[in-house]
Amino acid sequence: MSAAIDFNAMDDETFRAEARSFFESEYPAELRFMAGRLSWAESKPWWMKLSKKGWLAPNWPVEHGGMGLDPGKLIIYWEETERAGIGRMPDQGVTMVGPTLIRFGNDAQRAKYLPKILAGENVWCQGYSEPNAGSDLASLRTEAVLDGDEYVINGSKIWTSMAHHATNIYVLVRTDKSVKQQRGISFLLVDMKTPGITFRTIRNIAGHEEFCQVFFDNVRTHKDNLVGKLNEGWTIAKGLLTFERLNIGSPRRPLQAFEQLDTLAHARKLFDDAGFVDRYTQLKMDLNDLGSLYQRYVEKVRRGEALGPDISMLKVFAMDTYQKLAELLLESGAEYGAFAEGVKLEGEAVDLMTPFYTSRPGTIYGGSNEIQRNILSKYVLQLPAA
Amino acid sequence: MTQHDSTEHREMLSNSVTDFARGVDLARVRKLRESRTECDRAVWKQMADLGWLGVLAPEQYGGMGLKLADMAIVAQGLARALVPEPLTAVAVLATRVLADSTNESLKAKLLEALISGDLLPATAWQEEAGTLDVHKINMQATPFEGGFRVNGSKRFVVGASHADGYIVSANSAAGMQLLWIPQDAAGAATQFDALADGRLSGTLNLSNVSVAKENIINSGAAAAGSLARAIDHTAVVASAELCGIMGRSLEITLEYLKTRVQFGKPIGSFQALQHRAVDLYIQQELSGAVLADCLAVLDNEPDDKTRSAAASRAKARCTDAALLITRQSIQMHGAIGFTEDCDVGLYVKRAMTLAAWLGNGNAHRRRYAKTEILEGAN
Ligand SMILES: Cc1cc2nc3c(=O)[nH]c(=O)nc-3n(C[C@H](O)[C@H](O)[C@H](O)COP(=O)(O)OP(=O)(O)OC[C@H]3O[C@@H](n4cnc5c(N)ncnc54)[C@H](O)[C@@H]3O)c2cc1C
Repeated sequence: MSAAIDFNAMDDETFRAEARSFFESEYPAELRFMAGRLSWAESKPWWMKLSKKGWLAPNWPVEHGGMGLDPGKLIIYWEETERAGIGRMPDQGVTMVGPTLIRFGNDAQRAKYLPKILAGENVWCQGYSEPNAGSDLASLRTEAVLDGDEYVINGSKIWTSMAHHATNIYVLVRTDKSVKQQRGISFLLVDMKTPGITFRTIRNIAGHEEFCQVFFDNVRTHKDNLVGKLNEGWTIAKGLLTFERLNIGSPRRPLQAFEQLDTLAHARKLFDDAGFVDRYTQLKMDLNDLGSLYQRYVEKVRRGEALGPDISMLKVFAMDTYQKLAELLLESGAEYGAFAEGVKLEGEAVDLMTPFYTSRPGTIYGGSNEIQRNILSKYVLQLPAA
Repeated sequence: MTQHDSTEHREMLSNSVTDFARGVDLARVRKLRESRTECDRAVWKQMADLGWLGVLAPEQYGGMGLKLADMAIVAQGLARALVPEPLTAVAVLATRVLADSTNESLKAKLLEALISGDLLPATAWQEEAGTLDVHKINMQATPFEGGFRVNGSKRFVVGASHADGYIVSANSAAGMQLLWIPQDAAGAATQFDALADGRLSGTLNLSNVSVAKENIINSGAAAAGSLARAIDHTAVVASAELCGIMGRSLEITLEYLKTRVQFGKPIGSFQALQHRAVDLYIQQELSGAVLADCLAVLDNEPDDKTRSAAASRAKARCTDAALLITRQSIQMHGAIGFTEDCDVGLYVKRAMTLAAWLGNGNAHRRRYAKTEILEGAN
């Protein structure tokens, strides 16, 4: 690992240039702009390359092996990642587990798990949702009972992204059935190789195997793997969800779809069509405005302020915009808009279908857009309950 | 035909479609992407035996000589069951073009074989994306031994993967030619691109393909007019398919809203989803009303402008409604709607394929604007 460089002291353009040249020269060409997520096997060489340079965890503090980027630099990092077409790796360890352990874990947990994430030894997946606990996550029923020094887990998690590539899973489990739902949930870390864990992969609508159902049959995990206090898992999970919403709300994914739209528009000479220009411009301006809204939250984080429930509006607008873009992309492709694979138009490669499939679940995961609107109406507008 | 006869016919058709649809195995549709058998010739034969391939064809060739509204019943019912066979492309598009032919012996031979299911013709008219104009082509037909020699390339051909021959439009010094080219003609080659629903879009390349005089289907203004009419008629029947798609997708979703429980209640009890469902229902009903209206207009054989305007109204509305309803069907299912196992995904994909065929909403609005709004304004 390189000696700690204070990236935050660099001016934005210098940092951007460095990130760009690194990503462009080092990221494998054959993995650029992939349709689906990257498997662990595909990710690993790049993961290790990032790790070696000390660039794997841009969001972690320097003392834990991260880059310690402030939000402004972090956004530049993400933008350049998108620009270079870098695929989505099984990055839950970096995006979720690291920040959780840094904030809520203890020293022993940090010492045990963080280096293994950086070293590419541990690949994490998120076990929150259950067949009967999706939007109503607090009703989850997978339970953990303390038996000696170990928790014994029984139940099932579903939609667990990349569980088939993961070595570890973090789960929300019920540890007290006698209290209000939210108060009886704990946050546990589990090795995927523990006896009693089985899983089945689930094919998504695009035909890719990206999520799983994970079954727990008397799965034992040591009580040292409890993160935070017993029955405080809900608070931890909620804290992370806010972060996830900021992440999902960033304009970078819609921007990628916009680039496809731009390429398509040139190839099909759509700028001669006033109707198209109007819709294109509207979405372009929506994207710019999304950037402004996003920036507002970034500044808040930068000032060290807590993000409130109003962050939900960012996710709603980002994902609605993303979907509109993907839909316009298909419609503007005319007959090509039904092609399952990418097409070459006037020598330009355009992938019309991938943005459609990647934008679709954006209004479902991380709290659906309906749930975000419920949050906004209840906690921000403070409208009366039904 | 009397009113009584036609009602009876419709009922019969509708019943036979419902029976057939009940037996359809979605597992096959789900596997199309890998199997690439968008047309099972045994199923096709069954469809022929039920009379569906001849609904529109004149009675003297073995068809039923019924109306577009009858054909729409069959198409809508089969689309509900996601039947992948290229019914509309053959029983409407190819059938209309062939029925207009003045080459009596070719017409009789091809139509009879089409109706019996023995011959599957694919109509190859389009060369560039986003146009409904039959004249926007570069396929060249040059005179050769009393017939033609043909060169060029056709895109987006539906049903091409199992076609026994192609109906091809080409330019010649004497205007447009509609030509019959058997699948194994020397110089004809096909290529396929997978579509969203696993069906295939064909590209037909013709290099010095000779077409004998006997295989000229139609020529000149009559050829172009016949093709344009056939395309409009097909677009309206494709709209009926889109109605079938949206109808079933919404049905499945409403059922889910009643049974899926979150927060201790069926999710259909949440007002946000209730209003969404109602908005989708309104789009479905609107589509049905527009479709019925436009079918009646087309069945009255109006002038070209009226016909095209009606076809565009139907295709624009039904396309956009089907896309909206199927996409919202995923949303209201949550994550399970995003899986391959969930049927709504199959409807989303078929809607995308049908939307892009013969002009999507945008293409039809543009055409409508051109003839109904902008020309009138001048
Ligand atoms: C691609 C993808 C990846 C995922 N990855 C993971 C993962 O790695 N780990 C994990 O734990 N989970 C994951 N999830 C699951 C995700 O968090 C859930 O899908 C989400 O919480 C919604 O739950 P559900 O799918 O059960 O839908 P449901 O909760 O059943 O919702 C169905 C529909 O009802 C609506 N609805 C529900 N309640 C209300 C209400 N009160 N008011 C209005 N509308 C309502 C929803 O918005 C939705 O439209 C993933 C999901 C997807 C699609």
